[in-house]
This record gives sequence, structure tokens and C-alpha cells, in this order.
Amino acid sequence: MTLNRFANRREAFWRGIRDALGAPVLVLFAGMVGFGAMGHTHGFDAWTMGLTSLLMFALPGQVVMLEMFISGSSLLAIGFAVTLTSTRFVTMVVTLFPQLHRRDRNPLLYVWVHMLAMTAWAVSMREFPAMAPKYRLNYFIGLALPCWLISPIGTVLGYFVAGWVPVAVTLGLVFINPLFFLLTFTDVKPWVNRMAIGLGCVLGPVFYVFDADSSLLLTGLVAGTLAYFIDRQWLRPQPTEVQG
Amino acid sequence: MTVDLQGSGVWLALSAACIGTYICRAAGVKLSGHIHQDSEVFRWLSAVTYAMVAALTVRMILMPLGLLATVPVLLRVLICALSVAVMVSSPQRRLVPALLTGTLLMLAYGVWRTSP
Repeated sequence: MTLNRFANRREAFWRGIRDALGAPVLVLFAGMVGFGAMGHTHGFDAWTMGLTSLLMFALPGQVVMLEMFISGSSLLAIGFAVTLTSTRFVTMVVTLFPQLHRRDRNPLLYVWVHMLAMTAWAVSMREFPAMAPKYRLNYFIGLALPCWLISPIGTVLGYFVAGWVPVAVTLGLVFINPLFFLLTFTDVKPWVNRMAIGLGCVLGPVFYVFDADSSLLLTGLVAGTLAYFIDRQWLRPQPTEVQG
Repeated sequence: MTVDLQGSGVWLALSAACIGTYICRAAGVKLSGHIHQDSEVFRWLSAVTYAMVAALTVRMILMPLGLLATVPVLLRVLICALSVAVMVSSPQRRLVPALLTGTLLMLAYGVWRTSP
């Protein structure tokens, strides 16, 4: 087994940093550049945009906030809609943090959790099973910290280059986010989760037509529960009967 | 446009959005203290999360806001299909080549569209 692949926690941290400085940081950077460019074309100021990425750090919610603000929605509606798109964090944290070592599950997690985004979550879910629990938090911090710090930088940069970069480049940049999420799905192994992804892809647009704001939460609950029961009922190997 | 972009409205909206997002993260930490990795609740929540992330991804591809909306939906789907094909063409998963395929194809379309 490769469970002892790190000599100490420091090594796990640096491994996280190394894993971050590839596709994850690039993807977030590109996504945030796209977000900054979007803010520029809509007439926001660079400070607001950069702070949004630093303090909120949830690109889908940030985009929703921007769009709703432009279309003149009330503050209450904006706050509610953004919080709804962020409800995925509840389940992301609940699925990730129980895998940490018992000693690391202390109030400090309320600080580290701010650096969690979909990118770091997807990579951690893939890597955690291959390392001992006591190294997981350090690996996670190493992975998530660069992702978080690059975001306001990318946003402000995107804001300022939006004026002179050709539209074709911006187009390629804003496409990276959805593409990355799509590609990580091919790495998901458990059948229950694969089925949840398939059902989510089909039901998502259907629920979106009915009520855009709550559709993510609703899709997750319906498609996820359906996948869970199908798996439990038919796919999971049944526990063998104890003989005599 | 009737919105005052310089006023306090944008800061209020930003604060509300930040607080709402952080509350969701904190709620996850609070709840995670009571959930074990091998439990049925964990399996169910994993499925719910993946379904939610999938719905978000499909929304960003099929019903995007802003610039991506100007690209024909069939082309967006076609580029996604090609990228996934590159990704699964090796058991080791070619993430960066697949990302490059999609991004460069989208960029090429943008160049082709703006050329006279």
C-alpha cells in the first residue's frame, strides 16, 4: 500500500502545493480571469471584483451575484440565490472532512474550510484514499491555499486585460471552468456517484426551467437520492447470508 | 441601467453573498462532526453532492450566462464531447491535453467568427 507515502506532515503539505500548481491553479486562474473580464464589461470596479473572489471564493455564486445585480434584483433575492448556489458546500464539506484524522477535526477547520472550492474538493476526494488520514489535512491546505490566493489575482488581472485581449481569448478562458468539472467526472469510480452524475445532468436542466434559483439544490436531492436507492436496491453486492 | 454601481448597494449585495456562502461552509464543518465515512448518510450525501455539481456543470455548458451564450449550443456540446474523448483515450487520464483541446477549439472558433 502507498498509505505511508509521506515521511511527515510537512511533506504532505508540499505535495499538496505541487499538485495544486498544475491543472487546479490554472483552471481557477482562468475562471477568475473570465470573471474579472465579465465585471469590467459590466462596469463594476476592480476592488469589488477582487474582494468578491477573496471573501466569497465560489465562482458560480459570484457569477450569479453579478448577473442578478445587473438585472436589478433586490438585495434579499441576491443573498438568497447566492446562498442557494452555495449549498453544495455543505455536502462537499460533509463528504470531505470526515476523512480527516480525528486530531485534525477541531475548530481550526472553520478557517480552512474557507479555502475549499470545487477544484480542491474534486482532487482531494480522488487523492485522500491513497494517503494515511493524519496527512490529509496538510495535503488539503497545501492544495487549497494556492487555489484561493490565485483567485483575487486572476480576477483583478482579468479586469484590467479585458479591454485589450481579443474576444476569442476570453471565450477560451470562460470555457475552462465547465470543461474542467466535466472532465473530472470521468475519474469518479463508485457506481452510485456515477449514476448521481448522470441523473444530475438530465434532471438539472429540467428543474432549471421550473425554478432557476432552487434548481441546483432540488436536482441534487432528487437525483442523488434516486441514485442512492437504485444502488442500494440493485447494484451493491448483497451481504452474504451467514450459513447455519 | 437603473442600478447605481457606485452606491452602497453593491457592497451590501457583496456582504450578503459572502456571509451566505460562508454560512454554508461552516454548516458543513458543524455537520461533518457527526458523520462517519462508512455510514449510509455519507454515501447518500456523496450522491447528492455529485448530482448537484453535475447539474451546475450542465447548466454552465447548456445554459451559460454572458459570452459563452454567443456560441451555438451544438458547438459547445461537440467541443465537450471531443475533450472527453481525449480524456478517456488513456487509462491514466489525460487531463491537461483534454483541457487544452477544449480551450483551443473554443479559441479557434472565436478567431474564425471574428475574422472577416
